[in-house]
Amino acid sequence: MASAPLPLGPPPRCRILKMIVIGDSGVGKTCLTFRFCAGKFPNKTEATIGVDFREKTVEIDGEKIKIQLWDTAGQERFRKSMVQHYYRNVHAVVFVYDITNMATFQSLPAWIEECKQHSLGGEIPRILVGNKCDLKDATQVRTDLAQKFADTHSMPLFETSAKNPGDNDHVEAIFMTLAHKLKNHKPMMLSQPLLDENKVQLDPEPSPGVECYC
Amino acid sequence: GTLQDNSTLLQFKFFYILKLDYESKRKRKVAEIQHALNSSPVDVAALRRMAISEGGLLTDEIRSKVWPKLLNVNTDDLPPKPGPELRENNKDYQQVLLDVQRSLRRFPPRMPDAEREVLQEQLIDSILVVLKRNPQLHYYQGYHDIVVTFLLVVGERMATALVEKLSTHHLRDFMDPTMDNTKHILNYLMPIIESVNPELHDFMQRAEVGTIFALSWLITWFGHVLSDFRHVVRLYDFFLACHPLMPIYFAAVIVLYREHQVLESECDMASVHHLLSQIPQDLPYETLISRAGDLFVQFPPSELSKEAIQQENTAVSTFKDFELVSAQQRPDAVLRRRLREQPQRERRSNITAARTGTRRLMKLAVMGLTVALGAAAFAVANGALEWAAKFELQLFP
Ligand SMILES: Nc1nc2c(ncn2[C@@H]2O[C@H](COP(=O)(O)OP(=O)(O)OP(=O)(O)O)[C@@H](O)[C@H]2O)c(=O)[nH]1
Ligand SMILES: [Mg+2]
Repeated sequence: MASAPLPLGPPPRCRILKMIVIGDSGVGKTCLTFRFCAGKFPNKTEATIGVDFREKTVEIDGEKIKIQLWDTAGQERFRKSMVQHYYRNVHAVVFVYDITNMATFQSLPAWIEECKQHSLGGEIPRILVGNKCDLKDATQVRTDLAQKFADTHSMPLFETSAKNPGDNDHVEAIFMTLAHKLKNHKPMMLSQPLLDENKVQLDPEPSPGVECYC
Repeated sequence: GTLQDNSTLLQFKFFYILKLDYESKRKRKVAEIQHALNSSPVDVAALRRMAISEGGLLTDEIRSKVWPKLLNVNTDDLPPKPGPELRENNKDYQQVLLDVQRSLRRFPPRMPDAEREVLQEQLIDSILVVLKRNPQLHYYQGYHDIVVTFLLVVGERMATALVEKLSTHHLRDFMDPTMDNTKHILNYLMPIIESVNPELHDFMQRAEVGTIFALSWLITWFGHVLSDFRHVVRLYDFFLACHPLMPIYFAAVIVLYREHQVLESECDMASVHHLLSQIPQDLPYETLISRAGDLFVQFPPSELSKEAIQQENTAVSTFKDFELVSAQQRPDAVLRRRLREQPQRERRSNITAARTGTRRLMKLAVMGLTVALGAAAFAVANGALEWAAKFELQLFP
C-alpha cells in the first residue's frame, strides 16, 4: 500500500503538540495564547465564543514541532455541550486563573473535574498558570495557596503576566517547558500522513493522535 | 488614440447607465418602503420583502423605522431608562461588563473615546434591563454583539425594546440555561452542506472539524466576526425578516462558497477549523443572501431535522428534540406542501433550473423567494395559531 505521491514531494514531517487552555472568563487565556504565538500582548481582545485556535512552530533539540493552542471560552454555559469536541486528542492541559480574582482560583476544581470527564486526568501533562502578575498590588491569590493546590493535583505552578512577563516567567518559557516535557513523554501525532508500516514503527504505543490520520 | 478614447467613453457610458440604473432602483425602493410604512395598517409583508431583497433596508434611518415593524414592537411604549440600582447585586453584571469592555471593535473606528464610553454604558444597561425583565433568559457571551448592533442603529431605549422581543423569539434557543438547543441548531449545518455538496460534506466529516467554527456566527448573527458594520446591518435586515433558522443557512452558504479553499486545506480538525473561522471580509453578501434563501426553500428545516438529530453525539432526550423540532417545523411544513402542490408546469421549470444551476441548488425567482421567506418569518413571529391563514394570504394575495 503506497500513499499517492504529492506533487512537490512530501513536506518534512512535523510533530504536532495539541494543548487546550481553560479557565474562567477574563483570566487572560486569549492574551496568553496570543502572547505566545504572536510574541506580544494584544491591544484589543474580545470575548472568546466557542474555541479559537492559534499555532506556532518551535524547534526543540533540532526538531521542528508545531504547538497548537486551543483557546476556549470561559463562560460556564459553553463548557458542557460546546467545547467537548475539542478535548479530543489533547496532549496537555493548561489551567489558567487570575491572581487578582479569587473566584477564578476557586473555580479550578470544577475545571479539573471537567477535564477528568473528558478523560484528561493525571496521565497527561497539566500545568497551572496564575496570570496578571503585573497587578501585584491587587493580588488575591497568594503564591503559597496556589502552590499548595498545585501540589495536591501534582501540577507545576507558574505565575506570569501576559502583559508584562518578568524575566524568569516568560510566557514563552512556560509553554516551551511543557513542550520539552511532552517531546519525550508520549508519541505525538504527525502532521503528514505516513505509510501504515512506518506509523507502527514510529508510534509503538497507541497514541491519541492515531485516529486523526487522514 | 481615438480607439482608446472611444472605448474609455464607452466604458464611461456603461458605468453611467449602471449608476443611473442603481440610483433609480434605489429611489424606487425607498419610495416603496415609505409607502408600506405609511399604509394603514402598515404593510409588514412588503417591508419583509424589502428587507430581504437586494440592498436590504438601505440606510440606518430607514432601519430604525422598519425594524420595529418587523419585530411588531410598539415604539410609543418603550421601557424607561434604568437607574443605578439595576447593577446592584446583579448576577450578570460582571460578565456583561467584561464582555462590553472588550467590545471596542464593534464601534466605529473614528468615534471619540468619550462618545464610545457613553454607548458602552448604555449597552450594559440595555442588556441588563432585558435580562432583569425576563428571568427565563440567560446571558451568553456574544449576546452583547447583537445588542450593540441595535444600539448603534436605533438608540438605547428602542434597542432595549427590540432586543427584548428578539430575545424571546429569534434568540430564544440561545438563551436557555444550557446550550443544548444551540447545539441542536448547529447540527443543521452539515445536513444543509451535504444536500448541496456531498463531497465537501465528506471532507469536513473526515477532518472531524465539528461545527463550533460557526457558533459565533450563529449566536451573534455574524456581528462578532464581520468588521464592516454595513455588512452586519444588511444581514440583520435579512435575518429579522426571516425564519429564526436562517442564520444557519447563511452559515452553510458561506462554507459552500469557500468550497475550493476548504478542499485544498489539509484534512484535519485544526486546519479546517482555522480556515473556516477566519471569515473573509469581502464576501458577495447579496449573492449569498439570495442563495441562503434558495437553500431554505429547497431544503426546509423540517426536511433536515431528522438528519440534524442524527448528528447529535450526546444523548439529549428524545422528547426534548421532538418538541424542538416540532416547534421549528410548522411554517416549513406548509411551505413544502405548498411547493409540492405547485402546478406541474411551474415545477418542471424548477427542475430545469436545478439541472442548470450549481449542483443541487435551484434558484427561485426573487419574488417567489421573498414571498416564501417573508411568510415563514411572519408565521414564526405571530405564533402558532395565526400563521396558517396569514401564510395563505401572503402567498396568494
Ligand atoms: N493587567 C493585565 N491584564 C491582562 C493580562 N492578561 C489579560 N488581561 C486583561 O484581562 C482581560 C481578559 O483577557 P482575555 O485574554 O480576553 O480573557 P479570556 O480568559 O480569554 O476570557 P474569555 O474569552 O471570556 O474566556 C482583558 O481585558 C485583558 O486585557 C495580564 O497579564 N495583565
Ligand atoms: Mg478568550
